Amino acid sequence: MSDYISRADLLSWLEKVSQSRDLVAPVKIEDLTLFQKVERVEDIVFDPGNTDLSPKEFFFPKSEVLFYVDRSDGRVELVPAEVEQETVIFGIRPCDAKGIAVLDLPYLEEPADALYRQHREKTTLVGLSCVSACPECFCTSMGTTPDDASNVDIMLTEVEEGFIVQVVTEKGKALLPEGLLSSKEVSPPAAPSVASVPSEGIAEKMHQVFDSPYWDRLADRCLHCNVCSYVCPTCYCFDVRDLRSGGRVERVRSWESCQSPGFTKIAGGYDPRAAKGPRLRQRFAHKLLYFVEKFGVTHCVGCGRCVRSCPVNIDIREVIQDVQGLGVKSEA
Amino acid sequence: MKRDNPLLPYLATLDEVVDLTPDVKLFRIELNDPEVRESFDYQPGQFVFVSAFGTGESPFGLTSVGYRKGPLEVAVRRVGTVTGSLHDLEPGAIVGVRGPFGNHFPLDEFKGKDLFIIGGGIGFAPLRPVITSILDHREDYGELTILNGARTPSDLVFAPEFDSWAAAPRTKLELTVDAGDESWTGRVALIPRVVAELGFSPENAIAVICGPPIMIHFTLIELKKLGFADSQIVTTLEGKMKCGLGKCARCNVGEKYICRDGPVFTMEQISQLIEQF
Repeated sequence: MSDYISRADLLSWLEKVSQSRDLVAPVKIEDLTLFQKVERVEDIVFDPGNTDLSPKEFFFPKSEVLFYVDRSDGRVELVPAEVEQETVIFGIRPCDAKGIAVLDLPYLEEPADALYRQHREKTTLVGLSCVSACPECFCTSMGTTPDDASNVDIMLTEVEEGFIVQVVTEKGKALLPEGLLSSKEVSPPAAPSVASVPSEGIAEKMHQVFDSPYWDRLADRCLHCNVCSYVCPTCYCFDVRDLRSGGRVERVRSWESCQSPGFTKIAGGYDPRAAKGPRLRQRFAHKLLYFVEKFGVTHCVGCGRCVRSCPVNIDIREVIQDVQGLGVKSEA
Repeated sequence: MKRDNPLLPYLATLDEVVDLTPDVKLFRIELNDPEVRESFDYQPGQFVFVSAFGTGESPFGLTSVGYRKGPLEVAVRRVGTVTGSLHDLEPGAIVGVRGPFGNHFPLDEFKGKDLFIIGGGIGFAPLRPVITSILDHREDYGELTILNGARTPSDLVFAPEFDSWAAAPRTKLELTVDAGDESWTGRVALIPRVVAELGFSPENAIAVICGPPIMIHFTLIELKKLGFADSQIVTTLEGKMKCGLGKCARCNVGEKYICRDGPVFTMEQISQLIEQF
């Protein structure tokens, strides 16, 4: 027997949830599917594919005010931003939920990032298992699976006319009213088969091929458009700037990419990663070497978005394959 | 120092601004909150972010010493937007301070050893608290040689302290410039050349060098010719950084973050990094 909810009951529950909290779920925006605050639950997209962007921005916004400078009454005071709004993210896929768990590692490590922690505490994740695999995904090679419930508060798996419900955390339990779920004799569909990449031992291999001319060759066609970082559910580099808005000064944090020219350029003009080769290597070394050494997991969850988005077909699956093969032959 | 939001600066007041060179100013900064001021402790080599609100914040090595409990001091060369805005501020202005961040010079390991402190241009700034600490506890250390170099005589930082450094026991001060002027009677030579001429002995000695990458590169060559091992050479690395906490992922050199694992490294540690700058 499984806990079960019908599609109609699910929608009316989500409708109730949206009355007391921000409900964020996949919706169609022109030809994109994006996580957005939902106005009408009928707009929620239940398509089997994944969204064009992960819900990373609800924890680490594209641009976020850290504090503003209040200069009233001849005094200076810094007013920090606070996250007040309770949010429920519905329809997050296991790879993106794993992405949030990966973001936790640097951001919640002491001293924790204050705003990220607040977003995290105020947000409940309702996941949706993948019943089919996208052509570019490789989650099972990156430490998660299409039905991995370990990084969400509630997990739903679509079955005929409804969903099997796994209540994973206390936070998830608190969101569900008594009596909402029924028991039903249904078994979950078989997990889809996901393409694999040879990720085993990749950190060690990255170490060995760090100085290979491979990186310069690969980077030759990179346009440093940064799209790989922006679509990535785990990329977390940021920039901080002071902006004037409405007559006051705000300190704003925004997404940045290690692929940007000038990402490492210091005052006076010296840039240790001025060339494209070392910049592209930084992205893969961070994901497959440095992060693994520090936190024990890859900084990639296999969602495949960078593969889909890259205008010059730089493909992390091929990079992993290539790196594993480099130096096997005498040519490195 | 623990606080809820490590990206939120402490408010502070510019106490005093001193012109060190035509483009370097020394800022004496007093933290506004007496409790914060009391508990704000730091070691030579550590750095703070200083905010010019409306322009932004940048990291600067502290040039003062924590144990003296005075105002915080940073030496700022006008090179970009934040440093430009800081230079435009007058005493009394409100700024922001975050920190202290980073590791520090291993002064305990310097004890009983001869020390060669070599700094070029504004790179000399983070060495000043090392010198202050050594001179304040002179008996703990061996012979001290300070080599301060700059492009021109007027670019030599901390000139008001040269007399007291030169007069300290078992201490030599060597100054050099790339190009002299009418009144300059001292040495005109690049730092690596002076290192070769002075011929430091590596026996029971440590060399501490800070400066522009090109100066460090050639100075290292000379120090190695003199017989210095990588473990006897201490330097600082500089990197673009936005947080000081190892989170913005801007200042890594290979697997290390300059802000958190550095900025002070021995050449032995640097040579073991996977990425070489």
